[in-house]
Amino acid sequence: MNIETFSSQTLADIKVQVESPEYETGNLHSILTEIKFSLQQLLEQKKSHTIDLRAMPWSPGEERKLEKYLGKGEVRTELDALGKSIFYETSYSGIWVVTHYSEDGVIIGKSIEVTYMPEMLFSQYEEVKDSLERIKEIERIEEIK
Amino acid sequence: MNKQTLFELLQQQGVSRRGFLKYCTALTSLMALPASMISTVAQALESARRPSVIWLSFQECTGCAESLLRSHSPTVEGLIFDHISLDYQHTLQAAAGEAAEHAREQAMKENYGNYLVVVDGSIPLADPGYSTIAGMSNLDMLNDTVAGAAAVIAVGTCSAYGGLPHAAPNPTGAVSVSSLIKDKPVINVPGCPPIPTVITGVLAHYLTFGSIPELDRLGRPKVFYGQSIHDRCYRRPFYDKGLFAETFDDEGAKKGWCLYRLGCKGPMTYNACATLKWNQQTSWPVESGHGCLGCSEPDFWDAGSFYKALSIPDGDYARAAGYAVASGVVLGAAAGFANQKTKSAAVSQHTKVSVDDFSLNQKDTNK
Repeated sequence: MNIETFSSQTLADIKVQVESPEYETGNLHSILTEIKFSLQQLLEQKKSHTIDLRAMPWSPGEERKLEKYLGKGEVRTELDALGKSIFYETSYSGIWVVTHYSEDGVIIGKSIEVTYMPEMLFSQYEEVKDSLERIKEIERIEEIK
Repeated sequence: MNKQTLFELLQQQGVSRRGFLKYCTALTSLMALPASMISTVAQALESARRPSVIWLSFQECTGCAESLLRSHSPTVEGLIFDHISLDYQHTLQAAAGEAAEHAREQAMKENYGNYLVVVDGSIPLADPGYSTIAGMSNLDMLNDTVAGAAAVIAVGTCSAYGGLPHAAPNPTGAVSVSSLIKDKPVINVPGCPPIPTVITGVLAHYLTFGSIPELDRLGRPKVFYGQSIHDRCYRRPFYDKGLFAETFDDEGAKKGWCLYRLGCKGPMTYNACATLKWNQQTSWPVESGHGCLGCSEPDFWDAGSFYKALSIPDGDYARAAGYAVASGVVLGAAAGFANQKTKSAAVSQHTKVSVDDFSLNQKDTNK
């Protein structure tokens, strides 16, 4: 292996694997309870809620178990800004899993959003304003022609 | 202080509003703030200016800087570093000799009263000759640089508590930053090394809010050091049930039982390893099968063997375990308190590690 190849390697390339027995912290139960209350809140008060999955201890495999329970629904979308972000609605409507990646594919944020639509997917006010200006500019150029 | 705001800088680099919100989401998580704070963080960062940072390295091994700089850029850590103005770091900067020292003096002059000082390494007081930079003693350079600083961040156990250089018999008379600097806020970010996301989380907090985070009695940010390793450990249910690995290769170890009897210092150690983890969130020592060494606590080098089990306050463990879940936190806290005393005794006696500490039969160590 030459130095150049070696220096460009990441942990994913060298296949580091953590093998641990399956056991649980009990946090899965707490998360499900939080999701249940958040859904009630969304229905009754139209209030969205985000659960940061990196803010709590998980045993190896517990997160995978949660994702297995939630399943995958009809919508999956990808955002390309400062690296990829993947949004998908789970098989439970109103429960979204959001994963943010850095430009080299490292997870920098992972959350469950209990909402009708994740906020970040909406067009952003400042950029819509900018769009209007740009369209006006095209219109002006066309008029000159 | 750079006149551009962070948002303007990101815009210049072609980062969209969504990209900015994503950056704020990652930062909010990094600072251990609730997700409901994302919009507050975004608002604050829209108007935040790039702070000037002067990084001083004294009696240290460069492990703390490596921890941060080798953290798989361009992650959030990389982004944070892009958005501070690191004006002096003698290991990293291209300039050397007088030009390097000139950069430090210029950054101080231009940002007087507003710059941050990051320190890794302890300061030798026995003889200034043990560690000098450009002919200046570490003590003189620290005092000179901190004079116009807004705050000081002591990165790593050496600068926070003295660390390895301070270990008995402390030949260089090594001391921590906080024992010398009394007129500026000092934030301790201990660990050997500290978790890179914790270092950047503290920088991000200052960047975002222009203030220092709430600190514990040892000057550590509570968001990262507010809970013990033990209280957040995913192996904690086994502790509560009284199920322990007795050796590193027995059936208990294979089943992932608690490492308490193998010397894990989790109950007396306050750090965020259990949630933030290491190496791209791959794992952390306990998940990899080794007990916590307690590296974010003062004098951990002198606290006896890494493999000697801590004692628990109540010898009748089976009875205590009967109240397992409900009393778990209290028991853990009590064990932590009891072992702080044990550690103090070990420090005063400077207990040395012997081959017996690696004994495969650890059953008696808990009594």
